[in-house]
Amino acid sequence: MTLRFERVSKSYGDVEALVDLELTVADGELLAVVGPSGCGKSTALRVLAGLETPSSGRVLIGDRDITGLPPHRRDVAMVFQDLALFPHLTARQNIAFGPRVRREASDEAVRRTAAVAERLGIDGLLDRYPDQLSGGQRQRVALARAMVRAPTAYLMDEPLSDLDAQLRATARTEIVELHRSIGAITVYVTHDQAEAMTMGDRIAVLAEGRLQQVGTPAQVYDEPANLFVAGFLGSPPMNLVPGGGVLGGEPGTVVGVRPEDLHLDPSSTGDVPAGRIEAEVGVVESLGSETVLLVRCRDATRLAVRTVPRSPYRPGDRVVLAVDESRRHVFHEAGDRSR
Amino acid sequence: MSDSVGVERARTPRSAPRSAWLFLLPYAVGTLLLVLLPAVLTLRYAFTDFTGLSGGRFTGLDNLRRLVDDPFFAASLRASAFHVAMAVPLRLVAAVGVALLLAAPRRGGRWYRVAAYLPTVVPDIALALLFLWVLNPVYGPLNQVLGAVGLPEPAWLSSPWGARVGVVMMLAFPIGEAFVVVLATRRAISPRLYEAAALEGIGPARQLRHITLPILAPVLVLLAVRDTVLMLQASFVPAYLLTDGGPARATLYLPVYIYDQAFEFLGFGYSAMVTLALIGFTLVLVAAQVLLVRRWRVLR
Repeated sequence: MTLRFERVSKSYGDVEALVDLELTVADGELLAVVGPSGCGKSTALRVLAGLETPSSGRVLIGDRDITGLPPHRRDVAMVFQDLALFPHLTARQNIAFGPRVRREASDEAVRRTAAVAERLGIDGLLDRYPDQLSGGQRQRVALARAMVRAPTAYLMDEPLSDLDAQLRATARTEIVELHRSIGAITVYVTHDQAEAMTMGDRIAVLAEGRLQQVGTPAQVYDEPANLFVAGFLGSPPMNLVPGGGVLGGEPGTVVGVRPEDLHLDPSSTGDVPAGRIEAEVGVVESLGSETVLLVRCRDATRLAVRTVPRSPYRPGDRVVLAVDESRRHVFHEAGDRSR
Repeated sequence: MSDSVGVERARTPRSAPRSAWLFLLPYAVGTLLLVLLPAVLTLRYAFTDFTGLSGGRFTGLDNLRRLVDDPFFAASLRASAFHVAMAVPLRLVAAVGVALLLAAPRRGGRWYRVAAYLPTVVPDIALALLFLWVLNPVYGPLNQVLGAVGLPEPAWLSSPWGARVGVVMMLAFPIGEAFVVVLATRRAISPRLYEAAALEGIGPARQLRHITLPILAPVLVLLAVRDTVLMLQASFVPAYLLTDGGPARATLYLPVYIYDQAFEFLGFGYSAMVTLALIGFTLVLVAAQVLLVRRWRVLR
């Protein structure tokens, strides 16, 4: 079963939230949809869920056109950013809400609720109300409510954004593992590029309602299709310098090099060899497992350099940088990749 | 030394600084003079033959015996009971209905909300005078409309049930406070809850039953209790202006009867006893509501 956007557009008055979105999610795939806030990623998900009607275009599950179907006939389950647990119902009632209101056989619903709860490790919490649960537990209840439906596709709208960083990392792994074992399509919307990179089988990058690039994490990271993708993915982001600057290139282009593809060359102490960049260390950001040097070149261009932990460099030190030529990205000034 | 005392003080709320008492003083004086003192006096007068001018002899349970045998009191209690039974549900349903209708953002929504609140700022007396005209059987607009569509035209204020219903109709309009409370509570419910429900196939009608009302429930219980207390007391002005307790004691609500006894018949002692009865009746009704709420598991 695949899931497909066919030239889907959505506008609110003059605001174009989605423009001609053309995107296919493969069977069993976890597609991470990433982009800055207001890029249309949530709109895309809501169109998929049936909570918004597209202005034009079609949405298909397999060969079935679901564009006009109401949300509950689409066989999708959604996990919302604020989780949307019913505050007046216990965890158990929240999970069994769908089966109950659809008047499904109650012993079957009870069995499925128990099975899902056990799988997520919340079977001891089922009689608590949402406000008696921790953030992580609430998040599991929301996940369980989606899973009890056994849908064709899971739609997740930044479900981890309310968790603290440590819990978020664990939850990420858990969701990926659940996804693998369930095998249903998952569309995971996030603004966090690290989350998208670590979770997605493929990543779709959106900006201003338009799909910028879709591909595996390695593809979008190593071969960004345009300046936006290059600048959006990666932390710290790619160094982008107009052509003819310290990173070379023709005028009219923009040259990009990721911080980890700039290497410190400790051997050159005297004259700077051709192709090397001389710079002065401005800020040293020690992140434990790595160090990021923010340096300033002779022509005042600022670059970020990723280097080893416990770097000996201090602000004011002179450094010489070598560019990994095979990892130089060149873009047209207008934004698209030139090579 | 003084430091440690300060710390000790901060920890025990009983030894609050003197300025705290100063801030409390206006309220304390008000509560004492306007609530506690009258309450104690009422309790005392209830067992005397005080007329407001003279007397004040302790008469034991005489007033209570009189209360039990008093047909006017029985009628008054009945009138108040019917009033609460009609007015509280109607006012609550009206407030909730209007609030839910006007909760969603819409063009000109604020003007509708102002309109819904407006009767609440109209003084009771003005509203009562307005309803004297509205309910006039000959030239009142209500009967003209009823007559125009071929419905019976009741003699509103001159028939017992007409008068009771008339008073309730008037009080169905000043519902602004409950309206605002429900509106605010409804607006605080995340739209995601409705979307989550829509994904399970729950349409608007069932959303009301499965989401909106259960989440509003604590507030609704509070409003029902509050309105019960209010309706037992606020029926005074409309009754006094529209019906003066009649016809046939149909609107001789407890506050009206208390007023009559105290200031028309100079039966201060006896009216104090009726006041105690009103307080008792209020407590019984509120307790019944609380018990029903528990029994029906309205709250989680």
